[in-house]
Amino acid sequence: MWHIAKRELYDNLNSLRFALTTVLLLALMLTNAIVHLREHPKRVQKYNDAVTGYENRLASYANESLYLLAQQGPGDLHKKPSPLHFCAEGGDAFLSGTVNAGDPFMYSADMTGVWKLSYPAVTPNLENVRPDAIKLDWGFIIGYVLSLVALLFTFDAISGERERGTLRLMLANSIPRHTVLIGKFLGALISVSIPFTLSVLINLLVISTDSDLHLNAEAWERLGIIFCIALLYMSLFLALGLLVSTRVRQSAVSLVILLLVWVTLVVFMPNTLASMTGEFSPSMLSGEFWKRYRQLHQELDEKYEDRVWSDNSDIKTLTARSEYFSLHVVLDERLNEDRLNLQINQFRHARSIIRVSPVAIVQHLLESFAGTGFERHLQFIENTQRYARHFREFVVDTDRKDPKSRHLIGIREGMAEKPVSPASVPKFEDTLSLSKDFNTRAMELLLLTLFVMVLLSGAYLAFVRVEV
Amino acid sequence: MMTLIRRELLDNLMTFRFAVAVFIIFLLVVANTAVLIKDHERRLAGHKTEVQKSRNYMSEGKTYSVIELHVDRPPNPLSIFNTGLDKRLGNEIWVYYGHIPTLWDAEKHSSQNPFMNILSSIDIVFIFQGVLSLLALIFAYDTLAGEYERGTLRLVLTHSVSRGHILLAKYISAMVCLLVPTLMSLILALILLTTSPSFSLSMQDFLRIGGIMVASIAYLSVFYLIGMLISSMTRRTSTALMLSMFVWGFLVLVYPNMIVAVIQPSNPPEERKASAHNHIKQIWEAFERERKHYLTTDTHLEGDPYGNLPWRDGYNFEHFQDKVSVLQYYYHAGAEIDGFREARESQVLHVQDYHRFLVPLIIDAAEHTWRVRKPVLEELFVLPATIDKIWLRLSPTGIYDIATQALAGTDLNGIQDFFTAVQQYRQSVIDYYYDKKVFASREWFSFDKAAVDWRTLPQFSFQRSDISINVKRALPDLFLLLMINIVLFIGIFLVFVRREV
Repeated sequence: MWHIAKRELYDNLNSLRFALTTVLLLALMLTNAIVHLREHPKRVQKYNDAVTGYENRLASYANESLYLLAQQGPGDLHKKPSPLHFCAEGGDAFLSGTVNAGDPFMYSADMTGVWKLSYPAVTPNLENVRPDAIKLDWGFIIGYVLSLVALLFTFDAISGERERGTLRLMLANSIPRHTVLIGKFLGALISVSIPFTLSVLINLLVISTDSDLHLNAEAWERLGIIFCIALLYMSLFLALGLLVSTRVRQSAVSLVILLLVWVTLVVFMPNTLASMTGEFSPSMLSGEFWKRYRQLHQELDEKYEDRVWSDNSDIKTLTARSEYFSLHVVLDERLNEDRLNLQINQFRHARSIIRVSPVAIVQHLLESFAGTGFERHLQFIENTQRYARHFREFVVDTDRKDPKSRHLIGIREGMAEKPVSPASVPKFEDTLSLSKDFNTRAMELLLLTLFVMVLLSGAYLAFVRVEV
Repeated sequence: MMTLIRRELLDNLMTFRFAVAVFIIFLLVVANTAVLIKDHERRLAGHKTEVQKSRNYMSEGKTYSVIELHVDRPPNPLSIFNTGLDKRLGNEIWVYYGHIPTLWDAEKHSSQNPFMNILSSIDIVFIFQGVLSLLALIFAYDTLAGEYERGTLRLVLTHSVSRGHILLAKYISAMVCLLVPTLMSLILALILLTTSPSFSLSMQDFLRIGGIMVASIAYLSVFYLIGMLISSMTRRTSTALMLSMFVWGFLVLVYPNMIVAVIQPSNPPEERKASAHNHIKQIWEAFERERKHYLTTDTHLEGDPYGNLPWRDGYNFEHFQDKVSVLQYYYHAGAEIDGFREARESQVLHVQDYHRFLVPLIIDAAEHTWRVRKPVLEELFVLPATIDKIWLRLSPTGIYDIATQALAGTDLNGIQDFFTAVQQYRQSVIDYYYDKKVFASREWFSFDKAAVDWRTLPQFSFQRSDISINVKRALPDLFLLLMINIVLFIGIFLVFVRREV
């Protein structure tokens, strides 16, 4: 078996396709690294500016009073850019980088509500009129280019030998057929892995030369996983190539079939299926959203109208006002969350449908291990929600410690007047955890492995039964 | 000659790859057209509800100063052929006399799930880009190298046929073979389109589709000729095939995406933006000084136009809108006041005078801002796109995409046409205001005497640009495609004539 693999490898190393693949992959990976080195510092800078921005904001309000702190809050919360952004861009251009928590609602000139979260409904990237292009990340290089290369390496593995008559020669020796097949598979795997590994190493070398972008141990671990996923995905297409190559008599026909299968599977299926999914489980339309919004507010207003808007500021009015403000925030946030959840569900649905295409699987996997894309966005949203709870608890607790306060959150007369130490105010920190990623992604990994197994055993069955 | 063509044609038609080609093109085009039609219907429905909604907004405003004129960009039916920027860019814009609307002020009406934008959209040109080029190469790679390998080339050349004739015969027959599935699938797509009730295609649209067909044929021919060139230069079919596949991967898959990632605008846009923003801010500060000056000189107003008006109900607002990223800066004010408590008509007249003075001043400042803003917007957003397009033209795929976008009217120019129409609409609204002396009227800020009848306002209408303009925009790229065809053919001829058999 090793002998066959070795022979295949030597054959491939001298071939034109090996040279072209090396050049193509190297060019792509170098471009990727250069673009990353150019763009990433900007992203990090933007995030750092935002972090200092809301730290300053919190500190300045904390120095004023607890009331202002609760009212103004930390402002917009920003998503931390992933150091592995070059692995998978993950549609970040279309995902909002912030959870908005802009200015609080103004009821009137002297009455302002409290800080609340809202999720931007607008699509960013409206300003950009440059032509559309797929982002040149590892996801593209692996998903599109590597799969094509894998097919080009295996389309003639069996049919080519049969055409030349060497297959009969080989099988005349006492080698079992599965050994031949596995040898061919391993030979192709190694010969595609060589240029791929080379280009990946050069890519990482270029990226790690920049001292600003330090990849920590965890990032390297993730890169290792991504590399393994790439190999798995590559084997899928190698197995497909072998399968078709055994069934077809001429290598040219085999390539035609493989290319058309590739085009359908990789290029069209994710797009077409994605456009179809818009039909199912529609999200909340803006008209419906505003209808519910108005309805909720009307109910709330009716309930509190007579108590909140009186001019005297006795304890009853103040309590009602505090209740009104906090209910307002709760209702708003809940409605926003409802809409967000519907949107998330619809998109999840779409993603699970396009999972039929292996390229979609591999791109989802890369996204989640690189810490970008949709799942990461969900994690970020969860982080902001947790932080918002934490922040509110902090406000309540601090207020409770002040004996002079009337413990009515959200209104000036009802809260502690004293300034708060800026150091004690909780800071928002955006984190991402690998273990969680792995659980959500295990299914996709298994699916990918399943595809490989099915195709490999298909190729085996076909090869065993084929007449030479 | 004819015998040659006939022989080649029969050879090609009987092959397995021809069957597969027909099948794949049919499958992809028909399935995607059905999906695209559904998608278009959805967008059209969204557009209709938005238009209805904007009518409601309009009728809700009771005074001229608070009327909100929303304009919604209808989806282009030809976006099925090439989506271009039609789907991605903003489609809802607010027309306000104090600000000149552009593409960058538009927003996206939120009837759609923003997450769905991550999933890339597809169109018929995209299918053709990938599949037609691939098929052309698959048909071409062995035309010459294959005959050479089998030795039939020598046989053919022993007859008194010129080499040019052989090339021409091969080219014509293969193109016929490729055109059959292409044109048939396009016609099928058209049949699907015309049976769908939501599409009303005009004569001009059919001509545009005809233009897209011409571009597709030229594109197909470019890739067939590339394949033939490779085939004429190599001795073995397997080498020719390998080279063709890598050329395809590079030209179609890698290059268009790589170049957009690599190119970046050379000048630092942030500084340019900041200085322009400062300039615009100064314009509005000067405006604000003049406004304040007027308010202080008119003793009846005492700094606040509505302050001395004893009014019962209603509201007024004023603020400066400031969005640095697209240099959006304007003064927005309005009032909707109901019945004055006691009839102090002289005071009302003063407020009317104030508006007679103020609104032209706002319009002036807006024009002034526009003169600063326009070149900067061009430089910040349009210039990078133009540079990208120049680089994209190095690949036939890029040329084809740009040409069909221009024909379908979904390129930047096509979208800008809409916003030019919106700007003209704003001008006509202002002209109407001047004509009726609306600024100086009581209805500008109050509706105690009479509410505004918004039906008399000019209505917005937009016609996509004339076909001649579309063709003019697409013509350079179409010519470029044709030129590549001719150059390639000459190249093949030269290589083939010199070749030893």
